[in-house]
Amino acid sequence: MPEVHIPPRYRGPTNGERLVEVTGGTVRECIDAVDARYPGFGELVFDADGKIRLFATLFVNGDELDRGAGDTKVAGNDRIEILAAVAGG
Amino acid sequence: MSDPTGDRMIRVDMTQQTATIEPFPEEWKFLGGRGLSARILLDECDAACDPLGPDNLLVMAPGVLSGTSAPTSGRISIGGKSPLTGGIKEANAGGNPGQDLMRLGYRVVVVTGQPADPDRRYALDIDADSATVVPADEHKGKWNYGLIEDLAKSYSETASFISIGPAGEMRLAGASVACTDQEKERNPARHAGRGGLGAVMGSKGLKYVSVDAGKRPARKPANKKEFGALCKKYTKYYLDGPAKEPFPKWGTSVGCVEADALYTFPYKNRVEGRSPDVHTLDGMRIVESFDERGGGMHNCMTGCIVKCSNIVHDKDGNYKTSALEFETLTLLGSTCGIASWEDVADLDRLCDEIGLDTIETGAAIAVYMDSGAMEFGDADGAKRILREIAEGTELGRSIGNGAAAIGRKRKHHRVPVVKGQALPAWDPRPLKASGITYCTSAMGADHTAGLIVEPGQPQEEMAEASQQAQIVNAVVDSSGFCSFMMINLDEVRGFYGEYFGEAMTRERIADMGWQILQDEWAFNRRAGFDASDDVMPDCLKQDPIGPAKWVWDVPDDVVASAYERFENNDALFELRS
Ligand code: SF4
Repeated sequence: MPEVHIPPRYRGPTNGERLVEVTGGTVRECIDAVDARYPGFGELVFDADGKIRLFATLFVNGDELDRGAGDTKVAGNDRIEILAAVAGG
Repeated sequence: MSDPTGDRMIRVDMTQQTATIEPFPEEWKFLGGRGLSARILLDECDAACDPLGPDNLLVMAPGVLSGTSAPTSGRISIGGKSPLTGGIKEANAGGNPGQDLMRLGYRVVVVTGQPADPDRRYALDIDADSATVVPADEHKGKWNYGLIEDLAKSYSETASFISIGPAGEMRLAGASVACTDQEKERNPARHAGRGGLGAVMGSKGLKYVSVDAGKRPARKPANKKEFGALCKKYTKYYLDGPAKEPFPKWGTSVGCVEADALYTFPYKNRVEGRSPDVHTLDGMRIVESFDERGGGMHNCMTGCIVKCSNIVHDKDGNYKTSALEFETLTLLGSTCGIASWEDVADLDRLCDEIGLDTIETGAAIAVYMDSGAMEFGDADGAKRILREIAEGTELGRSIGNGAAAIGRKRKHHRVPVVKGQALPAWDPRPLKASGITYCTSAMGADHTAGLIVEPGQPQEEMAEASQQAQIVNAVVDSSGFCSFMMINLDEVRGFYGEYFGEAMTRERIADMGWQILQDEWAFNRRAGFDASDDVMPDCLKQDPIGPAKWVWDVPDDVVASAYERFENNDALFELRS
């Protein structure tokens, strides 16, 4: 099953969970699956137009995705990582 | 012993209106910015003094690497005993004065005393050969932008300025210190906002400081080649790295949506963690305005490669303000129930003009609204209040003195402050380790003292996370690097090593950060602070936010454990500011 690694700043909705295994054929389906279990997570990753948010960078097995590449296919033990940039002042 | 680099410092006595240039002590070589300010205040300032009296000091200390060619490293710290918290305070700012002071070899300016006549105004003029206090009565009461416009006519085009507006002259506890940015107009848009240090400058009769570095080159490192290679390597790392998009392209203001989704975009004096107006406050609306109106992203100081600062134009294409940041959109927008970024831009300009901290002022207006004195969302009312602050009306003074002051006056129960200072946007109910920072930092509720955005973090990790963030921020705020460079301790020690030609161990840089915190805590203890001051206000313990109904519920002993030093580990050195 693909695994979604949750960055520290997005662990509010997941109640501190760091890694979630899900079923899904695309990155979006995987994120939706996390959201189904932990409501509020999905909106941290995708905006209303379905694009990856400005402050989130997604990687599949270490390869960075473009903002519009939410429908990238995943399979087996693929590893989806999210890097959340910090906003300050 | 003086520093063999020939570095100097300036001491100013405002009682006598004299300034002297002295050698900079060798033993302070590695101290700059916040760390230098803390050391000077601990050694030389009576912590029990009246913050607005002659015995307080105003310290202006650029970072250790300011004036060098290290990328984004020219910030300046303003320090003193805070009239807002009664404790030690450091607020730092971008703009060019830090770079210019250091290019001239001035590591710090320390101002003491007070003129006998509180109605007099003075300026401090600094150049390569001299530091002189001169009368400046003709500038009394001027707003920051008008002041700089007038000064630009009589000073060299290479001069930069540090100034206060009417709020500082009135000694209001929410007053900021403005620094001019690197644009040719020299906009007084970069503020050392927190803690009321503008009031300390006002109490000394000092309306502005001019720093003219002429065409002085950057400071020379001991290991020129290695230092240059490090600058190149780190610039490439930053510009190619994961941070390349959000800050340089859009600035901090596009953080509103993410913060909202994390329940840390407080609404209506923090009774909610999310705002229904997030999409009309979102900085993306500002970015969208650039095409039609002009403005855009720029760097606020020479040598900054991040360029996170926006320049905002009005509907007619004229400059309105800079920079309209995430914190300002939250505090002057969402917490006041104000829905439009355009209104917040007006409020931001007014705060910069009058010389006010946008966080403290936004929080104060929100408390005023919440107390029933004004409707939430009344943007025109908020602008009227800011003008009243400039006029010095009774209401204006109460709000200009901050959230706690107006809360007391209105006898209102919901006043979100720690040690008398208003909370920033980042809310300690979901972000509990940040809450430990707000409680234990000598600065009061200040996200720049150590922000940790980790909702859902296990309680046993919180105090260590807070302490590590506090150590890293103390070092970075002393180095001159802007925290948006997201630099870590290993990188700072690398730069120090090549600059001074002395290798620096991990232990030494971590100890430097810890020593800064120790100095600040020691000052506060002398000023009368104890554990009873390290508390969140009741409203945050009682008003829940978010689906998990977060309240502030971290036990006191967990908070207090942030004072006991944890062992250094890899996480400390990799943590980014
Ligand atoms: S990163 Fe932003 S705030 Fe920091 S110095 Fe550069 S423009 Fe100024």
